[in-house]
Amino acid sequence: MSHSSTSGLDGTVSSISNVETTSDTAQLINTEDASTSNYTQLNKSVNFEDSDDEEFHGSHGVRRRQAQQKIEPGSMNVLSAKYESLDYDTCENHLLLDEERKRGYPFVVWKDIARWFIILLIGIATALIAFTIDICIEEFSKIKYRELKKSVDKYVVQDRLYIPYLLWVLSNICIVFIGSMLVAYVEPVAAGSGIPQVKCYLNGLKVPRVVRFKTLVVKTVGVITAVVGGLAGGKEGPMIHSGAVVAAGISQGKSTTFNKDFKVFQYFREDHEKRDFVSAGAAAGVSAAFGAPIGGVLFSLEEGTSFWNQALTWRTFFGTVVSTFTLNCALSAYHGRPGELSYPGLLNLGKMEPFPFQFYELPVFMFFGAVGGLLGALWNHINYRLTVFRIKYIGSPWLRVVEACLVAAASATCGFLMMFLLNDCRPLGEDPTKVPLQLFCADGEYNALAAIWFQTPEASVRSFLHDPIGSYKPWSLLAFVISYFLLSSWTFGLSVSSGLFIPNLLTGAAWGRLLAIMIQYMLPSNTINPAKYALVGAAAQLGGVVRMTISLTVIIIETTGQISNALPIIITLVVAKWVGDFFNEGIYDIHIQLAAVPLLPWEPPPLAHNIYASEVMSHPVFTLRTVENVGHIVELLKLVSYNGFPVVDPPLADDVEVTTYKRLRGLILRSQLIVLIQNKIYNENANTTWSNFNVDMNMFRKEYPRFPSIDELNLADWEKTCTIDLRPFMNPSPYTLPHRASLPRMFRLFRALGLRHLPIVNDVNEVVGMVTRKDIARYRVWRHRGHMGMEELILSSEI
Amino acid sequence: MDINSYHVFFFLFLHSLTILKADTSIREPINLELLLARTGEGYLTSFPEECSTILNRFADASSNFTKCSILHARPIRICSRCIEQYMQFKTIYDELLTTIVNGTSCKSIFISHDRLDAVLEYHDNILSIWDKGHCNTCFNWSDKVPVLSNETKLFNEKFNETMACIMKYIDPSTNDTQPVCENCMQSYIQLDNYYKTLSDDAIGVDSICMDVVDSMNATRSIWSKTLNCCKIRRTPEIIFLCCTGIISALPIFYYLVLRYFSPMRDLPNVLKQSRFKQTILRSLGRTN
Repeated sequence: MSHSSTSGLDGTVSSISNVETTSDTAQLINTEDASTSNYTQLNKSVNFEDSDDEEFHGSHGVRRRQAQQKIEPGSMNVLSAKYESLDYDTCENHLLLDEERKRGYPFVVWKDIARWFIILLIGIATALIAFTIDICIEEFSKIKYRELKKSVDKYVVQDRLYIPYLLWVLSNICIVFIGSMLVAYVEPVAAGSGIPQVKCYLNGLKVPRVVRFKTLVVKTVGVITAVVGGLAGGKEGPMIHSGAVVAAGISQGKSTTFNKDFKVFQYFREDHEKRDFVSAGAAAGVSAAFGAPIGGVLFSLEEGTSFWNQALTWRTFFGTVVSTFTLNCALSAYHGRPGELSYPGLLNLGKMEPFPFQFYELPVFMFFGAVGGLLGALWNHINYRLTVFRIKYIGSPWLRVVEACLVAAASATCGFLMMFLLNDCRPLGEDPTKVPLQLFCADGEYNALAAIWFQTPEASVRSFLHDPIGSYKPWSLLAFVISYFLLSSWTFGLSVSSGLFIPNLLTGAAWGRLLAIMIQYMLPSNTINPAKYALVGAAAQLGGVVRMTISLTVIIIETTGQISNALPIIITLVVAKWVGDFFNEGIYDIHIQLAAVPLLPWEPPPLAHNIYASEVMSHPVFTLRTVENVGHIVELLKLVSYNGFPVVDPPLADDVEVTTYKRLRGLILRSQLIVLIQNKIYNENANTTWSNFNVDMNMFRKEYPRFPSIDELNLADWEKTCTIDLRPFMNPSPYTLPHRASLPRMFRLFRALGLRHLPIVNDVNEVVGMVTRKDIARYRVWRHRGHMGMEELILSSEI
Repeated sequence: MDINSYHVFFFLFLHSLTILKADTSIREPINLELLLARTGEGYLTSFPEECSTILNRFADASSNFTKCSILHARPIRICSRCIEQYMQFKTIYDELLTTIVNGTSCKSIFISHDRLDAVLEYHDNILSIWDKGHCNTCFNWSDKVPVLSNETKLFNEKFNETMACIMKYIDPSTNDTQPVCENCMQSYIQLDNYYKTLSDDAIGVDSICMDVVDSMNATRSIWSKTLNCCKIRRTPEIIFLCCTGIISALPIFYYLVLRYFSPMRDLPNVLKQSRFKQTILRSLGRTN
């Protein structure tokens, strides 16, 4: 067999197009073994004849997928090949060493100070965005509901109630239409709460456009329209996303959207630094949303950030405190009480009295937790089915906009029908009501359901938590719980930006209050505190849906200002999480899995020590030689979509026939290669073109984070024959593992260090394979209904 | 460190001790003085005469107000009927605070000495009743003597008019309330509208004097519950129900149409992964 991969240092283009090889180093053009690469460009003519029979019965108790060729949409057992990892690993090349030599300790100190300053800015900016959102929602809602009330008051005596009703429907549709158009056409990644996206980003995945300025604008406008438009959504989730975008924007000192570089903070322009700021920004967002600084830090730790350290905790906490404080100042000033600082967050559940509880009540809280877990699992399942339906049938943006408008209309219908049918009247003045709507009640009374529907959901949560026990009739509560449960599950996942915290808190508070009333009926001699059960119910419902424990507990403690409620809440939340996990995943994980994102969980799959690197790795590796031909590089970059290439020693000339693997020298990234070619750093013109050109790290930082694609580079023919010495630019000591390393070992290395590429070497340090995130993430553990197992996911590049 | 600094520390230590002591030693002389100043019932000498008199009058004023407020609790007329008692009570209390006899103020004798603090407690209770009812807003405070404000007067006028009308047309022998509703509608609506203009808050709990609020509540209750004059509000609303029916059916239609008529997109293909095992299998197959 002729051999090709070892065509010597001069490596001409023709030499790589040879066919028929025994080499285990991948060839660029491979006519026969079409399936040697992950990429569709390469295997258009895949033949499935050698469908690996062995893969059906798992050799290690691993449930393998059938080698089906098509994927059912909405499948959770797929990974998308489109997602790229972020580069967290520092590339210790010569340029970095040069830079370190020049700088020294004053620079380290300066960088630290800059970090704190950026965190301060992040806190302030996030709080100001939260302030804007809050004020807009409050003012617009006030206008909307005041006008609607006038209209109802006018037409109710004329038997023409359909006029205010249609007015409500129309206003909802119009407002939601604006937000939905923005989300569907301008920036689809701004849909939903944004927490899954931020979670993926912090896990080390490049989610396209997730931290751009445009996303922030769409998100802000979107959340205002969604809440003012009367959808069953909250503004808390989007705040977290907004905080993340703010952090990513400020820390980079430049904006690609505006094409403006402020020439500051260049040293933070790398994925590693940006990730730390984004996790602090997400925490600042939580803290602005809930007025919960510690809850924000814990949220970032529990739900978001995959990489954490002590210094970051401290900085993050500083950011969250600044954020709460700024929002507090701004809101107090706005409400005419500057300096009073009584508005710490967007969601303020109001001060709760410490509720005393007895030992015998703990089982009651557990029962509430179980109910919350069941309802949460049901909520997630409904939302899952809806999302699958949306993936399958609602593809085009305008269909999504229509859907959002229909949901807005249905929300108004639901509210109006409930007010109309359930005549739950309350005397005026006993409870604080902003828009008391009389409807069919007697004079001096108002409709209790209208009071709930004619205000923002946050205010409704407050009413449920604080109103006295007789404020709502059980039947109205039941109707409200059912309708709001379904509405909120229907709303989440629409093409609008709104979160699920508030709707679930509201549903939970309503059924908690309902159960409290039932307990009161059963035990008429005891006085039941409805606030206690409403709060526990709210926590249980939310915990059943999102499956968070500690951060949610702390958030609720901080929003209610009562530390003594911690025990009931944590018991409830833990039970809710366990019960919910028995049936399905948390809502964020469901959405992440539906998006086929290769997210790495906290722990490696258990009982997987018998899976070795040689099975996990992608086998034929595309390598580059230490001194490589430009034409070859360009060819390779155009052909494959890999991002990291092991740099290997050129083989010795005399063992052309036998060589299979080559010795590892380093690792170079696609982005680095592109920058090198773009700047024409060739050996041949070393003395002419870039002799007085400063080759340093800034050359790479300038393009970050959006490097041009290889197709955008124009290359003259003469350049293709040039060569590049990759040694000064590559990472000379990439993390590697021997081919006998086990899956948990690889997983931990990958996860803890945030790696992107892990070359697998044999006993003599020759590259035999490459492990990337998708190779590891395809081993996924599931545990439901008392069973547990591991399955190997399939990949697709078309999701 | 030299001797001096130790001195300083020592001094500071002693000084703080004396400060700590001072807390108790300030109290002692007063207690002692009081004890010396009282006679009978465990005290050595009696109070200054003036203070005792004021206390006496204060007790009378408080009980007068309490009596009045309890008597006028239902229907609430506390503000308008008890204003004299309230003014009296307030003046005497001010007197109690300001009177000083031989350098000892009456306040220091009666107020803030013990856990019970009965005088202050009763005073605060009475004040809280008054403030809870926003009674001050009933009156015009520009003169020395408070008089009913114009708003309150006007409201009372309209209220009396309406009640008179209802009393006039009501016929207890029959259950038919139709004549009352028809004849008094005009004055009732006037009253209702006037009441709504009194506060800018939607429910009027913020600032309106409790007498007015209660009168209005009572009237509204009589009007809409006893007399049942609000039947007009309950109407069939057929068109409304049709609209809701249509709009709630829309999403279902939408989903059904999408389900059965939307073009099925191409299913995504599975990517063939490149693994070590396949290469071995393939090369084995080739060599065979």
